[in-house]
Amino acid sequence: MKKRKNKIYARIRAAIQLFYFLFFSSAYTAAFGGVKYIAAQLGAGEEIQWTAFVAALAGLCGFTIVFGRFFCGFACAFGSLGDGLYASFQWLCKKCKKKPAKLSVRLCEGLSTVKYLVLAGIAVLSFLGIYPRLRGISPWDVFSMVRAGNFRLEGYAPAAALLALIFAGMCVQERFFCRFLCPMGAVFSMLPVLPVFALHRSRENCKKGCSGCTRKCPSHVELPEDGSWETAGDCFQCQKCIGACPRENIHCGWKELRGNEALFTLVRAGALAGVLIWIS
Amino acid sequence: MKGFWAKTVSLAAIVCILFQYNAVLKGRKREDSLARLAAQTEALEHYIQRAQQAAPEESGESGADGIYADGEYEGQAQGFGGEIFLEVKIENGKIADAKITSAEKEDPAYLQMASAMLPAMVKAQSADVDTVTGATFSSEGIQKAAAQALKKAEK
Repeated sequence: MKKRKNKIYARIRAAIQLFYFLFFSSAYTAAFGGVKYIAAQLGAGEEIQWTAFVAALAGLCGFTIVFGRFFCGFACAFGSLGDGLYASFQWLCKKCKKKPAKLSVRLCEGLSTVKYLVLAGIAVLSFLGIYPRLRGISPWDVFSMVRAGNFRLEGYAPAAALLALIFAGMCVQERFFCRFLCPMGAVFSMLPVLPVFALHRSRENCKKGCSGCTRKCPSHVELPEDGSWETAGDCFQCQKCIGACPRENIHCGWKELRGNEALFTLVRAGALAGVLIWIS
Repeated sequence: MKGFWAKTVSLAAIVCILFQYNAVLKGRKREDSLARLAAQTEALEHYIQRAQQAAPEESGESGADGIYADGEYEGQAQGFGGEIFLEVKIENGKIADAKITSAEKEDPAYLQMASAMLPAMVKAQSADVDTVTGATFSSEGIQKAAAQALKKAEK
């Protein structure tokens, strides 16, 4: 019964991800374009105007402050791509009866800090006005070009190689890019997230020594306790932990909500679509 | 609780700093334009004085003949996802308007950013204006398309 329910939730999530991948694929790059734009304007001593990129940045940050990183888990094109690659690779390994390679938990924890360096690096390069001249090294450019059906990739060899490496990482570790490299993820994880809809757990009811939720989590998050104002910055709201807990101890900060109700998920997806339409 | 407030205060501080930054720049711009206006007035007064003293000279620009022939000209170039079509309008030998007629495969947010180049082109009377950071492909597409249209417009 529970397994079936989990399957339904996974399907709903996949459907929402596909929808956003098809119709709002540039939200992530546009929002990060806002970060680069602001850094560049500051560096050049120019006024920061309310452009489409800045609006995308503000809109997504506002949404994340209220609902947590629902955008990352359900709507980001790059995140969905990673989920797809990871699922396909695991399926392939299962078919071939091979054990998929895995990164150790400690290595993952170390790599999680790299995204802050990526963010700082790109912000500094934009501030100094160097970033626009570094064409051909941004893996996102290649990804969005290919997605838009533009295959004229001469001069993009370094970026294509980086993208291939990222794809390999995505196969091995769930949410490899989001957790370790995404500069927008770095921004999101530094935002103050309201505890109302962020996930918490009632630890005192847990089976002794159980760490099912943390092991199921693509970010190995240890969820904060009930009533805490802390939220997990690396939580993508993928909702896998909610279904994994044998005692249903995981729920939103507002306890009446578990967090993976189909209706609640659709409401958030709808609200996000509203934000994305408003800013475009 | 502590972490939450620390993050909130940092975010508020960043937003405040950015607004303050903009306000300072706006103030400077206003001062600049006031100073320029004052200088222009002075120069004008000077000119009038001289004109009154000397005999009225043959004045006026020969005007209306730039290097372009009047009309509407189309240009196209590869943008981000596909072709960008653009139309440049020449009036009195000058670039009067530039607009995008079709860019089906461009992302709206990027195209909107890059479109900021069109008024800049009219102002500069040239296709050679700065590209928009972050929307490089669309920008370059617009630039090439405009250059192509202007080439056709040359006398």
